[in-house]
Amino acid sequence: MSSTTKGQYSSTDDVIDLLKAQHGQIRDLFDLVMHSEGQERKEAFEKLVRLLAVHETAEEEIIHPMARSLPGGDGIVDDRLAEEREAKEVLSELDGMDPGDPAFLKSLDKLRMDVLTHARAEERYEFDRLRDEFSPAQLKGFAAAVRAAEGTAPTHPRPGVESAKKNMLAGPPAAIMDRVRDMIRDARDKD
Amino acid sequence: MAFNPLEHRGIPLDDQLRNWGQLDVAPVDPDTSDPYTKCRIIAMNGIEVEAIMFSHHFNRICPDLEVKQQLAQVRFIEQQQQKVVNWLLPGQASVLETTISYEQVAVDLTGWVARQEPDPYLKQAYEFGLLEDFDHLYRYANLYEMIEHRKAEKIIDQLTEAMPGRPTRLHHRHPMDNIREPYDREAAAPMSKLHALTIMAAEQQTMNFYMNVGPMYMEPIARQLYQEIGLVEEEHVTHYESLVDPGETWWERLVNHEYNECYLYYSFMQTESDPRVKGIWELHLNMELEHLHIACDLMRRHDGRDPESILAPSLPEPVTFEPNKTLIRDLLATQFDWTTLGTGYVQEAHRRFEEYQDRINAERPPSDQVMEDHQHKFGEEYRLETEGPHPVQSQRAQPYQ
Repeated sequence: MSSTTKGQYSSTDDVIDLLKAQHGQIRDLFDLVMHSEGQERKEAFEKLVRLLAVHETAEEEIIHPMARSLPGGDGIVDDRLAEEREAKEVLSELDGMDPGDPAFLKSLDKLRMDVLTHARAEERYEFDRLRDEFSPAQLKGFAAAVRAAEGTAPTHPRPGVESAKKNMLAGPPAAIMDRVRDMIRDARDKD
Repeated sequence: MAFNPLEHRGIPLDDQLRNWGQLDVAPVDPDTSDPYTKCRIIAMNGIEVEAIMFSHHFNRICPDLEVKQQLAQVRFIEQQQQKVVNWLLPGQASVLETTISYEQVAVDLTGWVARQEPDPYLKQAYEFGLLEDFDHLYRYANLYEMIEHRKAEKIIDQLTEAMPGRPTRLHHRHPMDNIREPYDREAAAPMSKLHALTIMAAEQQTMNFYMNVGPMYMEPIARQLYQEIGLVEEEHVTHYESLVDPGETWWERLVNHEYNECYLYYSFMQTESDPRVKGIWELHLNMELEHLHIACDLMRRHDGRDPESILAPSLPEPVTFEPNKTLIRDLLATQFDWTTLGTGYVQEAHRRFEEYQDRINAERPPSDQVMEDHQHKFGEEYRLETEGPHPVQSQRAQPYQ
């Protein structure tokens, strides 16, 4: 069996690399939700929803505004936002469903392909071009902002602090996104 | 039941043209499809690309207008087949994910052929190349985790291991030593000819793929690794194509190509797990039967020979994608440190090999660099060893210093 640690995820300080790592994590979480049952599926799905909320919000706040400055950037970003809207609709539909419901997996599959298509488009049309447009220091600064948002919105609630985190991140995906947006803006404003 | 393609007529050529809607095939799922379905798609694409390019080369040397027109008609249909087959690959897969599937093809297709091949010299050629593609899979798997933060087992599942083969830095031989002896077209088993054509086509497609996609990466280490492994694919194409008897006539080669396409579509139809994809293999088999029939007529007319005289009375066992872990571990234990000398194989490095190595590896090869970069970033290398520790003591995973 393979034995690679998750070390890279916390060690990378380039925002593009960090978001790509999240794409990998998101894909793996879909895999976990599909291949688990009962309580395990429920928890994996909650984890997925939180990560998606943090991730998409970070991209909306950091990546897309950067990408708008590229030649043709407005069109590229509008296309990405349309994909995100579609994914969010499926996501809120899923959020109200019982993970044991047979219809759940069908909607999940739709979300999985939407998210994967969206992620790949970002990597090809935004990430690859952004790396050239910004300095390593800028990429690092943005990584810190995403990390700050993540730090206050952990995907793995720790025992003991769980209730506080739950307070902060309870509610439908849209509410989580609003809170993450505030956190990122706060983090960015501090720089 | 033995299947003899010469006894079936298939779909008339005039009925084979597909419109845009029929060509617009739905891709397989990037996450949940059978890894071996992707392997069959990639292998079959390589077969179609070889069929097309062979036909183009034939067109370029053929003075007979009528034959050229006949070839052009069949070739256009083969182009459509290639479009349908290769367009089964999903756009969501990254180039590197597709690359990892290409290497899984190289490992498990060559492994299957090596196990079936009756001729010991040809079998040796497959075993030798297999250990190199196996190492490429391992290097790309490490690059994949570094760039995309995912493990290669998400693509290859647990079907193929990812651990060191013959180290890529040692694949760079003097080009003289990449030429093998050909089989004898009069004496070789029909199956041996099909094997050689199949592996040659698969490696050629891999070579072309790396030639074209390598520069699409921005990460320097990715660009460099594609260059290095792309040059090894050049060696492999030379190695495998020289197994084919150059004395075969163009007509004979045309028949062998069409027969081999029938063989592979038939094989994949027999072994495919995805019913929709299976339907495509079946449709294309029925097209190929007609292409074979046309090729046989051309051979009778222009070569004055019966195709039956060079073909087997029925197809061999279906080409099957299945794990080759035992074979690979046995080969690692016995042929790990081999290289080639002239048209044969030696265990000891020889002067021509060493001189060439000194020149090409004067700077650190990317295949070594990718491992160091991975270890630096992750603290250890990526491996997928499902059957225990590596059979070669020196290749067992070491803690990173």
